[in-house]
Amino acid sequence: MGAWRLFKNAEYPASTALGLSIDDTLPLSLSAHGSLPILHLYTFRPSAIVGKYQDIEAALRLDRCRERGIEFNRRSTGGGTVIMGPRVVALGLGIDIDQPGMRGGIRGIFETLSTVLLRALQDLGVKAAFVPKNDLVVEGKKIAGLSAALEAERAILFHASLLVDFDIPLMLDIMNQPPLKISDKGYNCFSDRMTTITEQLGRDIEMEAAFGAIEDSFRRAFGVSLEIDEPDEWENRQIRDFSQNRYNNPEWIFSHKHPRSHMGTGMLKTRGGLLEIYLSLAGNTIEHIMITGDFFSTTRDINLLESSLKWTSSKPEKIEEHLSGVWRDEMIYGLDVPTLTEAILKARENALNPLQKIM
Amino acid sequence: MADIKGYDMPDDLYYHEEHSWARVEENRVVVGMNDMFQKEAGDIVFVDLPDEGDEVEQGEVCGKIQSRKWIGKLCAPLSGEIIELNEELEDDTGLINQDPYGKGWILAIEPSDLEGELGNLMHGQDQLIPFIEQEIKKTEEERAKA
Repeated sequence: MGAWRLFKNAEYPASTALGLSIDDTLPLSLSAHGSLPILHLYTFRPSAIVGKYQDIEAALRLDRCRERGIEFNRRSTGGGTVIMGPRVVALGLGIDIDQPGMRGGIRGIFETLSTVLLRALQDLGVKAAFVPKNDLVVEGKKIAGLSAALEAERAILFHASLLVDFDIPLMLDIMNQPPLKISDKGYNCFSDRMTTITEQLGRDIEMEAAFGAIEDSFRRAFGVSLEIDEPDEWENRQIRDFSQNRYNNPEWIFSHKHPRSHMGTGMLKTRGGLLEIYLSLAGNTIEHIMITGDFFSTTRDINLLESSLKWTSSKPEKIEEHLSGVWRDEMIYGLDVPTLTEAILKARENALNPLQKIM
Repeated sequence: MADIKGYDMPDDLYYHEEHSWARVEENRVVVGMNDMFQKEAGDIVFVDLPDEGDEVEQGEVCGKIQSRKWIGKLCAPLSGEIIELNEELEDDTGLINQDPYGKGWILAIEPSDLEGELGNLMHGQDQLIPFIEQEIKKTEEERAKA
């Protein structure tokens, strides 16, 4: 049985600079230092972390972060903003894409590592599923987020965040939203779309228990042992270097290498009820979408529709194509795909031309 | 057009194993990402490119490409100087998905050792078929084990 290294810290939440610097060192250590695969399990101090190519000033209310002492930073993997804290498992994995047990291709990598986390959740008593683009969900509600980057040579850095418990009011306060009219229903909007292990089990669990389930699942999936370890001298030099030159460097944190961000709202009166669409665009891509209103549907179906559109092109034909791919009759009572597409395009138009009236 | 296992891999191009392609024109080489990459990656969100005038080595990572939650590498298929970037990608990275060998080209290089380096790239179906089959086989094997 092969052995992997395990860096674990369940006791002291890490600063964003330290946690992310260790993570960035993982694939580098595989490719340049001859390390075995390394699994890093830890937690962060309360913080907001944006994806590598996100506009941090558009994604976050930095003034509120500063006032509340919430750290913010930029990770080196893709995807959107995550809110981290002592009750959210942070996972970094440095692994070779040719590692036995890893499926090939980008989809294969996400499938493989999602399966590991699904089994860990199952062992904890939570039945989740992998939904591409919306990560791991329980009955349509997101419970874990995944992202990855191909780094040095064939080594990747894989990131995951797993919600043991979550502070939705904090998220609503520090994340920039589209010009929402949801101040009164914002909490419900997010609680309908997210869940936690605590909520699913109806009781609290120790972070150590979540870590243990993840460790066991990796052992079984890859047929390896995990040996508790710490960064060696070479790795500590890299960690210090990343911390100093990347994660404490304003040029990195406030990087302008990102697509233009746009947010907009679209409303449409339909025979099925009022449709309200909240849209965040990264360039031409839909980064985030919320479909709300006073129509009849289920949380699961709405989340499925939203998931089908995330990280896809916002061009009209693509919106209609992706919605049609998951659409069933009466998914939203009284509505059809062209009508829903029309409402989304209103939000898109308002996002791209914010000076126009939002109705 | 050459279809290999459902992927369009034109015969006249040269391919790097990290999925970039090179088209030799008069005194420059046009570079992009192949159809297999764009299909695997899904909608491209952002392309992080080098600057015009930068020198790159064959196989060097000269850019990053984000799709969904994945960030992949653009490896220079040949050494030389970056002489042009596809500015249309600033407005529409979806061109890489829609037309990976046409409007979705990414950059152009003035090669420094064209004759010496072309032989390091894959060219023609004899070399491409085993490469594509190998990529597919690994996925299928691991999926079968799961």
